[in-house]
Amino acid sequence: MKKQAAIYLLLIVALLALGACTPVRPAATTTGGDAPAATGKLAEIQAAGKLVVGTSADYPPYESIDADGNFVGFDMDLIRAVGAELGVEVEIQDMPFDTLIASVQEGKIDAVIAAMQATAERDEQVDFTIPYRMTKDAFIGAGDTTIVIEQAEDAAGMSIGAQTGTVQERWIQETLVAAGLTAADQVSSYERADLAALDVANGRIELLLMDAEPAVALAEQNGLKILLITETTAEGGKSIAIPDGETELKAELDRIIQKLIDDGTVQRIQEENGLP
Amino acid sequence: MDILQNLLTTLEFIIQGLWITVWVTVVALVVGLVFGVLTALMRVYGNRFWRQVATVYSVVIRAVPVVVIIFILFFVIAEYVNLSPFLAGSLALGFASGAYQSEIFRGALQAVPAGQMTAARAIGMSKVQAIWSIVLPQALRLALPAWGNEATLVLKDSTLVFVVGVPEILRRTQQVSARTNEPFIAFGAAMLLYLGLTLLTTQFLGWVERRYRLQM
Repeated sequence: MKKQAAIYLLLIVALLALGACTPVRPAATTTGGDAPAATGKLAEIQAAGKLVVGTSADYPPYESIDADGNFVGFDMDLIRAVGAELGVEVEIQDMPFDTLIASVQEGKIDAVIAAMQATAERDEQVDFTIPYRMTKDAFIGAGDTTIVIEQAEDAAGMSIGAQTGTVQERWIQETLVAAGLTAADQVSSYERADLAALDVANGRIELLLMDAEPAVALAEQNGLKILLITETTAEGGKSIAIPDGETELKAELDRIIQKLIDDGTVQRIQEENGLP
Repeated sequence: MDILQNLLTTLEFIIQGLWITVWVTVVALVVGLVFGVLTALMRVYGNRFWRQVATVYSVVIRAVPVVVIIFILFFVIAEYVNLSPFLAGSLALGFASGAYQSEIFRGALQAVPAGQMTAARAIGMSKVQAIWSIVLPQALRLALPAWGNEATLVLKDSTLVFVVGVPEILRRTQQVSARTNEPFIAFGAAMLLYLGLTLLTTQFLGWVERRYRLQM
């Protein structure tokens, strides 16, 4: 019995030891970063002539699979444009969202493009490029409203709703209520955005502030009017994730993304995919 | 009529994942069969050391969710050997199934009367000979009903290989569901496919069972 317990223990220790090896591995490859070219991920990608990108193809209009089995969506068009700039082929691999970070850490894929935000927790595991698309929020009013909102601060003094615990609610509290521009009782907090949309339609609140992407469909469903789409109230943006410490690859991708933003490519594929 | 049409186009898309599901299941079952029979033999006829090794394998693997095993194989082992997602997924599934199959075959081996072994040795067969030509052929047949059950379980567990990016039936289903916003139709189509596959498998194994039944 004692011997058996020892074997179990040995097995578990061996597994843990194996597991412990893994985080060391990516760190080891990064030491190649300070050597001149040819060792980094960028050189590997160029040598292979192929950029292997992971995504989770269940999030239209960013990434999905059409009836013919092709990867389509904003992120897909963008990464192909990035590949064309890099002069390499793009191979897209579909994976569950939760596995993407681990896969890029382990070198199974070179990069992740999946409408992913560079949160602090993720940033510890991998590196992120500059955002290729900032998050945007929408102000929504009733279909027959006469309110005109030209900038986010114009919402001051109006009754407004937002989803509980969201970035938008925080913006209302910190920018409008705390500054005394809007009375605290003019702000309604909703469990769900569609419930807030109903209250806008019924005239119970004048405005609803929410994430712009679901807002478009929601406004259409409820006959509401989108008054303004803005980046002011939102936080962060979507970035491409690459292995930790790959400074050359990051620099090259950052340069390409900036170029695509500047020459209007990002704007064009954004519109092609129906994104606000 | 509209729903039917919808279901058909959905099925057409999902069915492209059918062969992947079938192959993952077949590879996993074969790998599991090898591991299962070997460890069962180790447990019934092995010496103390081999008995312990096989027991630890069976107990530990059965105690761990299959998804965890797939992850470990894909991300840890694949550090040293570069396995494709398909291979990593099916091997891991087979490795896990082996532990369950080990229990099935152990029971079957023990169900063959011990006297047969003694008799085989008495007429001069070696232990290996006796196992190979007397005990094992009977044990495999005795194991068939339980093994058929394990086969359907592995078929359904094949949905798990998607965690490493193998686009089998369930993943194709999620993709359609995300695109069309009609989860009911998508998952309905998946249900029909799994139902069909499982019925086919059980029918086939039922036939094998009747064909190779022991006449005792």
